[in-house]
Amino acid sequence: MLAFLARRVFIAIPTVILISLFVFSLQHLLPGDPILVMAGEERDPEVIAALREKYRLNDPIPVQYLAWAGNALQGDLGISLRTQQPVLELIAEKLPVTIQLAVMALAIAILIGIPAGVLSAYKKGTWIDWVANITALSGLSVPNFWLGIMLILLVSVKLGWLPASGYMPLSEDPLQSIRTMLMPAFVLGTAIAATLMRHTRSAMLSVLKSDYVRTARAKGLRESVVLIKHALRNALVPVVTVITLLFGELLAGAVLTEQIFTIPGFGKLVVDAVFNRDYAVVQAIVLCTGIAFILMNILADAAYRVLNPRMSEQ
Amino acid sequence: MTASKPLLDVRGLSIRVAGAARPLVDDVSFSLDAGETLCIVGESGCGKSLTALALMGLLEGTPLRIDGGTAEFQETDLLSAPQATLRALRGDRIAMIFQEPMTSLNPALKIGDQIAEAVCEHRDVSREAGRARALEMLKRVRIPAAESRLDEYPYQLSGGMRQRVMIAMALANDPALLIADEPTTALDVTIQAQILDLMRNLGRETGAAQIMITHDLGVVAEMADKVAVMYAGRIVEAGTVTQIFDDPQHPYTLGLMSSMPSLAGRSERLVTIPGTVPSPLDMPVGCRFAPRCPFADAACEAPPQLVDLEAGHRVACWHAPIEQAEPTPAWRETA
Repeated sequence: MLAFLARRVFIAIPTVILISLFVFSLQHLLPGDPILVMAGEERDPEVIAALREKYRLNDPIPVQYLAWAGNALQGDLGISLRTQQPVLELIAEKLPVTIQLAVMALAIAILIGIPAGVLSAYKKGTWIDWVANITALSGLSVPNFWLGIMLILLVSVKLGWLPASGYMPLSEDPLQSIRTMLMPAFVLGTAIAATLMRHTRSAMLSVLKSDYVRTARAKGLRESVVLIKHALRNALVPVVTVITLLFGELLAGAVLTEQIFTIPGFGKLVVDAVFNRDYAVVQAIVLCTGIAFILMNILADAAYRVLNPRMSEQ
Repeated sequence: MTASKPLLDVRGLSIRVAGAARPLVDDVSFSLDAGETLCIVGESGCGKSLTALALMGLLEGTPLRIDGGTAEFQETDLLSAPQATLRALRGDRIAMIFQEPMTSLNPALKIGDQIAEAVCEHRDVSREAGRARALEMLKRVRIPAAESRLDEYPYQLSGGMRQRVMIAMALANDPALLIADEPTTALDVTIQAQILDLMRNLGRETGAAQIMITHDLGVVAEMADKVAVMYAGRIVEAGTVTQIFDDPQHPYTLGLMSSMPSLAGRSERLVTIPGTVPSPLDMPVGCRFAPRCPFADAACEAPPQLVDLEAGHRVACWHAPIEQAEPTPAWRETA
């Protein structure tokens, strides 16, 4: 397994380089000039020239790339043009928030989506299947911002059970931190749960028809064992792919949900950076998201090998 | 015929697709004593596998419904018992082996665990004891290096080895009845002989009665004490293996016999039965074999009942005993 992971990480290096090239060229393809934003209303040519010199924007582009990539490798992702903070610091500040939100949303999605998918496949064509499918369809159709606002109205304003907004770091007050994250995680989780439910259902339907499930029944195993140990384990292989991809998306930040619940996560950072043409930050975020996706893919492959022993041989 | 109660007594079993006009398995009856081997023979689609699945209670979740009949096995009616009762019997008192060893084992679980699981489900034993039993069973089905195989996955085994694992799994709880649905059809010929050999020996050792479903008369000759010949959902002839092979009475059985290659009559061309099996949607009202039968006449428009020709030898044909019947002239011309 370790050798496999090492090989996968090695193979990922060219992909990371490609992403970095893309990320770097992005700023030259985008319209707008950050220096003009920084220089303020007066647009003093001398100030502009000095700023260009300071940020090495006069160098040839390949030189700019090498300088940027070399610094990035050393953990120096530049300085935010807007806040003058090191980008790494900004990201280190937001990343735990987004990871916590993503993990909680995914946990909620898995807890709802997979059992619902198993149940609706097992009870295919019955009212249970119908209810699960209609709920899933609504979960996919309801916009996150609407669900978020409605939840705030109901759970926070009317019932007063959970705080409507704000953020508490996990390290300071774990319980309060989970409480503040619960609603946004639920909003994000339900939409994902619907996707997971659909995938689990269709994978289970085909597995339940297989010969080895019939063998398991012929052994006299309880239905719960047949369903979970024999069927679900095999049905999970395609679902795991979906889970990792969805997790990658969650890590990229959920702009609307973060906005509604005023969570200082990645999504807000991205939006602010884009509007202010804060290139260093945009680049760093896209790079981080790309690497997160690569890591998720490696994780998915590792999970396959656990679920499907045949793959671990190759 | 023994005076004591048979191990399994099936009477009037009918199976149909929910809502269909005609049953796929129609009024099937047979019985089996402890330690006996019954072969159910017939072409694909004649209902022999459905009969087996119905006895196992494995039609649940399919569009097929048991339409009538009883199947008494050790004081339980397998056709009407609740699933919980059947589940307790399955894999314990009655076990089943399937046709496709390549897909019948769970690809994600070690074979030792798959066997031990059957033991632990029905016996109050520890995991270690279940594993020990799995090892013992792997040795009994003569899997080489059994110890190291316990932790292997199905994909690491050949088809023949997988079928041995299936047999080990089925016999792990010393069942009184083993149902084998075409256990050798998917295997190479040389492996087929080995598996049949193994099943016969294990049957003898454990005293388990066997129902073997096959379309292969060679398998029947090898394994059977009793034979039931099925055609289009009905039993057309039943008897001891000697009765069926030495004195076949139903025209369909005769056809099956003559379509089997023999070393003695090498010069002759293989005979085939003309026509095809009728579709379940379009079953003849009377004798279902009549459209393909050289002896068919007006009498065959009424369904024939299984009648005793001699002790234990039953035939469903208006023209039995066949020695006295004449092929119809029209059939001679077309054939």
